[in-house]
Amino acid sequence: MEQILANGFYLGAQYALIALGLTLIFSLMNVLNFAHGQMYVFGGFVTYTVVAQLGLPFIVGLFASAIILAIMGALIEVYLFRPVIRKSKREESTMLLAAGIAFFLDAAILLLFGEKQRGVPKIVDGVFNWDMRIIMPYDRILIGVLAIALIAGFIAFMQYSKAGRAMRALAQDRVAAQLMGVDVDRYSMIGFALGAMLAGLVGGLLVTITGINLGMGGPTSIKAFMMIMIGGAGVISGAIAGGFILGMMESVGLTMLAAYGDITYLAIFASLMVFLAFRPQGLMGKPWG
Amino acid sequence: MNRRSLLKSTTFAAIASFALVSAAFAENPVLKIGFVGVTSGPAAAWGTSNQRSMEARAAWINEIGGYDIGGTMYDVEIVAFDDQKDPKRAIAGMEQMAQAGIHYVVGPNVDDGAAAVRPVAEQNNIIYFPYAFPKSLYEAPASNAILGMVANYQSGPAIYKYLMENNGIKTVAFIAGNESDPLSQRDSGAAAAKALGLEVVSDTVTYQMDTTDFTPVMLPVIKTSPDLLVLSGVSPANAPQLIRSARELGFTGLISTETAQDAAVLQEGAGDLANGFISVGGASTPELASDAMREFVDRYTKMFGEYNDESNTKVYALEYILATIAANPAAMTDIEAFKTTMDTFEAPNPYMVGDAKLSYVGTTSFGQKRQVSVPLVVNAYKDGVFETLFVAQVD
Amino acid sequence: MTKTNLAGIGVFLLVVFVAVPMMIAVSGRWDFYYTLTSVALLSIGSAGVWLTFYIGRINIGQGAYALMGGYVSAVLMTKVGVSFWLTLPLAGLFCAVISVAIGLPILRLRGVYFAMITLVLTEVTRLTALALPVTNGAKGITSIPLPGALTVFGVPLIPDFATIENPKLAFYLLAVTLMVLTYAALWRIVNSRLGHLCRSLQQNEELASSIGVNTAHLRLLAYAISSFFGGIAGAVFVAISQSIYPSSFVVTDSVNFMLYCFVGGLGFVMGPMLGTFLLYFGWDLLSVAREYQLLIYSAAMIALMLVLPNGVLSLFDRREGPK
Repeated sequence: MEQILANGFYLGAQYALIALGLTLIFSLMNVLNFAHGQMYVFGGFVTYTVVAQLGLPFIVGLFASAIILAIMGALIEVYLFRPVIRKSKREESTMLLAAGIAFFLDAAILLLFGEKQRGVPKIVDGVFNWDMRIIMPYDRILIGVLAIALIAGFIAFMQYSKAGRAMRALAQDRVAAQLMGVDVDRYSMIGFALGAMLAGLVGGLLVTITGINLGMGGPTSIKAFMMIMIGGAGVISGAIAGGFILGMMESVGLTMLAAYGDITYLAIFASLMVFLAFRPQGLMGKPWG
Repeated sequence: MNRRSLLKSTTFAAIASFALVSAAFAENPVLKIGFVGVTSGPAAAWGTSNQRSMEARAAWINEIGGYDIGGTMYDVEIVAFDDQKDPKRAIAGMEQMAQAGIHYVVGPNVDDGAAAVRPVAEQNNIIYFPYAFPKSLYEAPASNAILGMVANYQSGPAIYKYLMENNGIKTVAFIAGNESDPLSQRDSGAAAAKALGLEVVSDTVTYQMDTTDFTPVMLPVIKTSPDLLVLSGVSPANAPQLIRSARELGFTGLISTETAQDAAVLQEGAGDLANGFISVGGASTPELASDAMREFVDRYTKMFGEYNDESNTKVYALEYILATIAANPAAMTDIEAFKTTMDTFEAPNPYMVGDAKLSYVGTTSFGQKRQVSVPLVVNAYKDGVFETLFVAQVD
Repeated sequence: MTKTNLAGIGVFLLVVFVAVPMMIAVSGRWDFYYTLTSVALLSIGSAGVWLTFYIGRINIGQGAYALMGGYVSAVLMTKVGVSFWLTLPLAGLFCAVISVAIGLPILRLRGVYFAMITLVLTEVTRLTALALPVTNGAKGITSIPLPGALTVFGVPLIPDFATIENPKLAFYLLAVTLMVLTYAALWRIVNSRLGHLCRSLQQNEELASSIGVNTAHLRLLAYAISSFFGGIAGAVFVAISQSIYPSSFVVTDSVNFMLYCFVGGLGFVMGPMLGTFLLYFGWDLLSVAREYQLLIYSAAMIALMLVLPNGVLSLFDRREGPK
């Protein structure tokens, strides 16, 4: 049982970090960023290139991922989302744009980094073994701790920095924030850059453990959507809760339902649908998003 | 004839003969071979290694002046179509092949695509070489599909038997992705293991193809502590992660799969933990590779920057098509002639040392010869390279 | 219906039923039949998605109904021996009934919440198809017979597809006929009292409800019609490929159905048809670009969004606002 909880906790930490960036972008601009998973993959490949190909330390790779993705996010917001949002009659139209960007990144990743699964060597060797009750490799523990530290850092940033406060104001009420003198364009850009950066960071962190391949983008986006739905779209605490809940559900569900085989995921997804049908705003969301 | 007209006619003749000669040099007739498979998205590695091995081989043939079929040298052109692993697209791809007048197509890579293109292939006289295992594709009344590799229900039993005799394994567990191909392979693998007298301790655990952390998936399997863990139909992307999770959870038994893998991917994804991992490969291990295989790997690497070990098993389909047509030039446009030739066809295997032969097999599994005979090379991974465990033949 | 409208419809019918087959016969591009058949079938599916957009719901679950419809048709044909022509409406009806059961709880949701739950639905349907015994699980259903002859009261209406010399043309005509019927129905719905009510839902649900519109009923009806279309599209695809697997329609297909609607324009009945044509046909034509295919395709999609964020048909829209 301890093992199951430990697995779920680790999985939850990585999920929560993925969901954070997505929910941030959603809360600021009401954009469901289909390309979030692709950004995650891109970040992973950047770290891979820096660490495995150029032979630089892991931390350099992480920084490179964060910076490149932040720039990419800012550019995407300014040159793509902003004009489309301004011109389109229905805000759902951004979904097509986001999907287009997702396809574009998929194509770019294939051309730039190739079709193979990639990974970097373990950054820490050894396995933590508590009496065979919890077995957890040290690199997983390290990545889990880093993920939680990043989550904590992000929350602190949103709570106490000027930019964070401005973004929270924007998320709460765009018009009111604008009237209060918040530079909407500027903070939308920063928010998008921050969201993309988080995606890139998770990619960089996880490339050491699960590796990366170009097919992971789409499914990662969809998983992240489910997490923010569980927690409530556009709410930061909700995204964190959603990530941990999905992680636990998978860990516990896979063990409990192992004997029934093929229906494990069916049960997880079906219960998710039932939950959302009866509590559409998720755990902590505003009703109707 | 005055001088002027003489000059004219000589010039004309010179130009004409030059044109003829250059045509004979540069313009070999072209033989088009198709490829319909997945070269983008999550399973891109499967189709890409296929397409690239075909393109590398075609470029090689064209460079040395073409392929000799019935006394004429033919250039080989590969026409590729990316079906995005979508059976509906695969049909469109097969239609495009028919439109281009192509009669021999390699692919698709997965079960659903292979089944979906069957009507088109049969209507348009196309022989295709899927990398999918359902027997219904190859058993009568179907007759246009030829299995391009060794099926898991053929390689699985051979591996299990070898391990029973050499490592004394008694229990086996299966784990598979919840998709058609892996699940079918798991079921046939488990049935084969039972038939051999192995005890199947776990064959119900499945995982989503997009899993990023396999530890929770692996946990219940490892608890059954099998002697052998089979990763059924595992994709090259998932294999290193599954191995790593199993080993990190303290699993010490053997791990095997019946699909082809890439050593570099295993090295990066699992490192030393992948040592001893058993998979099915082609003939590029040093003990088996012929000079032709080494040259192929060189050319592939030069052309695309990096070799993929999966291509070892995938270089054969094109070779079979060309060699069979060469054995009976009528087959170039007449697939019935191709089918007749298949029954008796035999040629030396250029990629393997020794006297290995290319021929069509499958009578035991399908009741007709609808499978290329490739050597069943079983490899074990060791420190970044594959080592050959044993070689067997499928009949 | 004005005279220009009638003339337009006449030209359209002439093009799809006469001009296209003639042009294919002249040019010899027989492969276009399948591509255009796919376009016709997929546009039936996206017509359904468009209708859910019309009541203000983003539907990313049409792939689920296409898969269900396909399985209903395949199972009825192979296990019960029902004629394809009977399975076609049954597949649609089955999907409509299921969609009412699913729609009852989830149609209360709006915006991204509805979108996400339908996205999950596609995956749930795939996993169900993998797990159920009747669908033959992972092994799929293969070797499904071609559509047989259709005779009504002894009058042969449609010949047996297996005996037709050119089944490609037959499937094309079938798909295009279904497409024309679908869009005629869609046009009728939009320009009826029902369509008027749907528009009021799209604009303001509370207001519509307060003036006595039975919103729940209306939403269910629109969603059921939408799913009916999805089921039909799936069933015909099964007849063409003569096989079905749990992966025959997946999340990607659901997302594509939605994208087709966006590209064509959400405010136009013909939008989904045009969008499907552009994106699907465009992808096929781009296969000459080889490894740059996806890059060009996606770049074109992004460019399209930047230039025409309200869909291609908004080019011709002088009046502004939905018709």
